[in-house]
Amino acid sequence: SEPPQHGPEQNGQPPAARPPRVVETEEDEEEELTLKYGAKHVIMLFVPVTLCMVVVVATIKSVSFYTQNDGQRLIYTPFPEDTDTVGQRALNSILNATIMITVIIVMTLVLVLLYKYRCYKVIQGWLFLSSLLLLFFFSYIYLNEVLKTYNLAMDYFTLAIIIWNFGVVGMMCIHWKGPLRLQQAYLIMISALMALVFIKYLPEWTAWLILAVISVYDLLAVLCPKGPLRILVETAQERNEPIFPALIYSSTMVWIVNMADTEWPPKRNSTEAAPPQQESQEVVTFPTDDGGFSSTWVNQQQHQLGPLQSTEQTRREIQELPSARPPAEDDDEERGVKLGLGDFIFYSMLVGKASATASGDWNTTLACFVAILIGLCLTLLLLAIFKKALPALPISIFFGLVFYFATDNLVQPFMDQLALHQFYI
Amino acid sequence: MNLERVPNEEKLTLCRKYYLGGYAFLPFLWLVNVVWFFKEAFMKPVYTEQLQIKKYVKRSALGLLLWVTVLTTWITIFQRFRAEWGEVGDYLSFTIPLGIP
Repeated sequence: SEPPQHGPEQNGQPPAARPPRVVETEEDEEEELTLKYGAKHVIMLFVPVTLCMVVVVATIKSVSFYTQNDGQRLIYTPFPEDTDTVGQRALNSILNATIMITVIIVMTLVLVLLYKYRCYKVIQGWLFLSSLLLLFFFSYIYLNEVLKTYNLAMDYFTLAIIIWNFGVVGMMCIHWKGPLRLQQAYLIMISALMALVFIKYLPEWTAWLILAVISVYDLLAVLCPKGPLRILVETAQERNEPIFPALIYSSTMVWIVNMADTEWPPKRNSTEAAPPQQESQEVVTFPTDDGGFSSTWVNQQQHQLGPLQSTEQTRREIQELPSARPPAEDDDEERGVKLGLGDFIFYSMLVGKASATASGDWNTTLACFVAILIGLCLTLLLLAIFKKALPALPISIFFGLVFYFATDNLVQPFMDQLALHQFYI
Repeated sequence: MNLERVPNEEKLTLCRKYYLGGYAFLPFLWLVNVVWFFKEAFMKPVYTEQLQIKKYVKRSALGLLLWVTVLTTWITIFQRFRAEWGEVGDYLSFTIPLGIP
């Protein structure tokens, strides 16, 4: 996620030349501003993350489709988990996770290459197609399953109208212009849809392993000097372009008016995942790419170019200070905090999986939810301190996993025993 | 997208595009148009483009109303008489509820 920055325009670099002004009070004010905005933005991110998780958990609890094991798997996780021995299962899940993470790494590298060689059209087309898929096909399936669950009749005509409207307005809001709230709502919905797909099609141990591995990868890709995401950021900085304003949830409007000669219509998109065909065969084929694009790609979205000025006041301050880059004419950059959509997806996936498979039911779900929010808080705190883009997955996912396994295996049996013996503490 | 910072001509173009887009069987687009530009059209101090924006918002609202009536009528008819239509009803149905109505 991205911090709101205060100070001369930085591009993620340390402030170049600070005029020897009234430094003391300025710095103090800045500290205060940082922390104050940090807190406000944390709250601004809590709401969408919570909403996404609520949608996912509600769906998991009510629509059984997403927890049924139909025997279908993704092509990226070909090894089944219903094997005879535990060892075999462990091995299979490790192999699955390895395949998945390799796919993700490859996708990220492809993306970085495409970006480096300026194949912007390809990237845009890719994003467009994947959001098309998500908005139409997956929502169709979702609606189908929800109607089945609640035993409602629906005719094709009304259905067509609904899906058509939902999809087209979604595409407009995400790729073109639309009201901010609606755009945020759509981003939350597609993140939830994606998370549900993952929950359905990833077998248990594989899912947990993938979560763990992705967090590690996120950490490495963002912070290591040779990490693909870091390269992406640096390339974008060299070119003085904003990195894809896509796949990001932003709490306020991103208003990129300055220097970009290539026009980036603010695209919000999450990932592409192909329609799992409802065939009787076991392995499902994916015509397009996988969700791996989301996580890393998304994490990379956390590195936004340029300063984030969140108020009139800071903006004025900055315009008064000389900066390394001349401030653009209508530099109306007003951004809040940004969080990549992949983060939404993986957080929701964790909580959703916890609610689907935990023996402790609501206890575990709530514990994971709290853990993720705490992780998010800490991440944002670090963001405010370090003032550069950070991976949002590791801390939250780590806490989430720890809480999940701890609650499921330690707390829940404890509470069961207490309830059994009617012993209230 | 924050309408605050958009120049008036752009607001007009946007409103107009949303209005025209709604003709492609997109009542939702009209709804968005109405809700989004309502304040612009009716509650802001007058500016040059406002008259036209008002026109578009009113027309969108009208179109929306029309669609809502049509859809409600159709849905009511369908839900009420679906079982009695036999084969045709099944053919039209996307999901068929189980059990005895």
